[in-house]
Amino acid sequence: MALLFGLLRPLQLFNDVVLRIGRALAILALALMVCLILGQVFFRYVLNDAPNWTEEGARFLMLWMTGLIAPMAYRQGGFVAIDMLERALGRLLSALLTLTLLTIALVVLVYCVQLGWSNVDSLTGRGRSASLRLPLDLLGGEAIRFRNSWAYASLFVGFVLLTIVNIELMLRQIIRLLGGEDRLPPLSDPNVARAD
Amino acid sequence: MLIWFLPLFLILLMIGLPVVFGLLAAPGLLLILDGSSRDLAVLYRNLYNGIDSFPLMALPFFMLAGEIMNRGGITTRLVEFSQAFMGHLRGGLAHVNILSSILFAGLSGSAVADTSALGSTLIPAMEKNGYSRKFAAAVTAASSVIGPIIPPSGIMIIYAYVMGESVAALFLAGIVPGILVGVGLMVMVRLMADRYDLPKAERIVTKNQTITPLEARVSFVLIRINVAGLLYALFAGIRAAFGLEINLNGWLIFLIFLPIAHGLMMWLRANVSSDFRLVCKKAVAPLQTPIIILGGILVGVFTPTEASAIAVAYAIIVSFFVLRSMTFKDLGPVLARSALASSAVLLLVGAAVAFKTVVSLSYAPQILTEFILSLSENPLILLFLINILLFIVGMFLDAGPAIIILGPILGPIFTELGVHPVHFAIIMSVNLTVGLATPPMGLVLFVASTVSGEKVETVSRAILPFLAVEVLVIFLITFFPAISMTIPRLTGFVQ
Repeated sequence: MALLFGLLRPLQLFNDVVLRIGRALAILALALMVCLILGQVFFRYVLNDAPNWTEEGARFLMLWMTGLIAPMAYRQGGFVAIDMLERALGRLLSALLTLTLLTIALVVLVYCVQLGWSNVDSLTGRGRSASLRLPLDLLGGEAIRFRNSWAYASLFVGFVLLTIVNIELMLRQIIRLLGGEDRLPPLSDPNVARAD
Repeated sequence: MLIWFLPLFLILLMIGLPVVFGLLAAPGLLLILDGSSRDLAVLYRNLYNGIDSFPLMALPFFMLAGEIMNRGGITTRLVEFSQAFMGHLRGGLAHVNILSSILFAGLSGSAVADTSALGSTLIPAMEKNGYSRKFAAAVTAASSVIGPIIPPSGIMIIYAYVMGESVAALFLAGIVPGILVGVGLMVMVRLMADRYDLPKAERIVTKNQTITPLEARVSFVLIRINVAGLLYALFAGIRAAFGLEINLNGWLIFLIFLPIAHGLMMWLRANVSSDFRLVCKKAVAPLQTPIIILGGILVGVFTPTEASAIAVAYAIIVSFFVLRSMTFKDLGPVLARSALASSAVLLLVGAAVAFKTVVSLSYAPQILTEFILSLSENPLILLFLINILLFIVGMFLDAGPAIIILGPILGPIFTELGVHPVHFAIIMSVNLTVGLATPPMGLVLFVASTVSGEKVETVSRAILPFLAVEVLVIFLITFFPAISMTIPRLTGFVQ
């Protein structure tokens, strides 16, 4: 049990810190998305000149928002599932079932991490965006066009974080199974919101 | 081999695997067993491309707009406004609850937000007025399903995206069905009012209302612009219907209508009490949201995604500057909640797009079509059966995931049979949304139970008469396509 807690604590600390940073960045991304799309409307109607990069920029931000905050949603139980069977079973069986489900989720996530990396590292990943660029020319340098892999990395990062969260949840479940539930620190956050 | 992915998926779902992992695991596993693990990369690409979408962006934006409106104290205004119109009827607060849901539906696309916002205000108020708590919770839950039917609507954005339909067409098609659900519920309340001797309430709760000078001015201008716009639309309709030739600039006609609108408002003003007037005035700014969203989309000024961003901007302006009910400090948590909720949905949609590619690779749709057609070839009977299937699915699964899973499988079959895709989308959306309020697994029921403090089982029993009405409405919508299709047809969004 001590070993399990020894494993869980650093993992939980990591998730606490990293996911909070992820949430802050996701908030920023969402706010910027709104600004970009409002800017697009403004430029089109007021200045009669719609920039070509706002839409792609907003999509880029939405991907990163998803990748950065979805792990927190998963950690707080925000992924929809039918939990009837789990509730119908007794304590032990239900705990075993949850552990099995988390194992299946882990397999899926590990595959996603692998596929995500080969996507980032792919030929198209090395290609560059037609419209998105870092405006270094404004600072006297040369504008750098965004690499596709910069967007691809969003979901890769998301799946890596989801995997780490999944491992944390598994450890918690094993501890629960061994009767250490009352010593588990809570994961709750007042900002949980459901999907529908 | 691939044909097994559907049963496998169902098993994974039933044992409680989160839907998003089920959507990836079932086809993924079969691709590996099939020896085509190279296609896994395609599955992943589709997952990524599924999220990388501009139309889908409307989802987080509408969620955000709804959250801001909710924080900004707009709920209370809508409730007071509804009360001023319906509070004095027998069963008044139940009617107020339903009307507030209809109005709230124009601001938010989520039934859960509706239940928690209106429930926390109205359930205690109803209890104080002599309604039983379970009845109050049941009315709140039953009427909140109007939220995702009347635009804006989260599940319709998802459906439109996954199925390649027009969001605007689905939005417009949802208006009448949503109002119909509301009216149906009100009729039910009226019937129950006689039987259970439900109490009346007062028209105006808070006497001696106050309004800030800025808000009074904003409402003054907005209401006149809206009435003038309405008159202009009527005029344009008459002109088109009778083929009148009037060579006047559109803006000029609008300007002529402005003083007429002003006169009309002054006449109305003389006929109502000052409290009534203030309650209405305080509802103008919030209720402008659906007008901006739908107006903008209808006129073709902006896309639904842009409309959703404008709705966010409008909500911020109203809550920060006009109502002054929100501060900069409140913005962080609101953004976080929307980002959290939408990230889970976006991943789900991405996984559904990946799932959909495997659906089309396998022969599942053909086999299912054959099976369904073997039951009957009459589309009406099939629609009846499919409604029962959807209703059962809705009992166990949230509307969003259910529509993502079933849309790609059922949609093409019924389009083939001659059912209009938009009509079918509305049947699915309304049915599965009602499913949010059906026991045993109704998200809205759980929220209503939490907000009211009444047990889920108790609310589930109290909601049955209202569910009966909603089932009736589902069948009306199914067998009378005109209910949903008239507005999109008239506005040219559907051929």
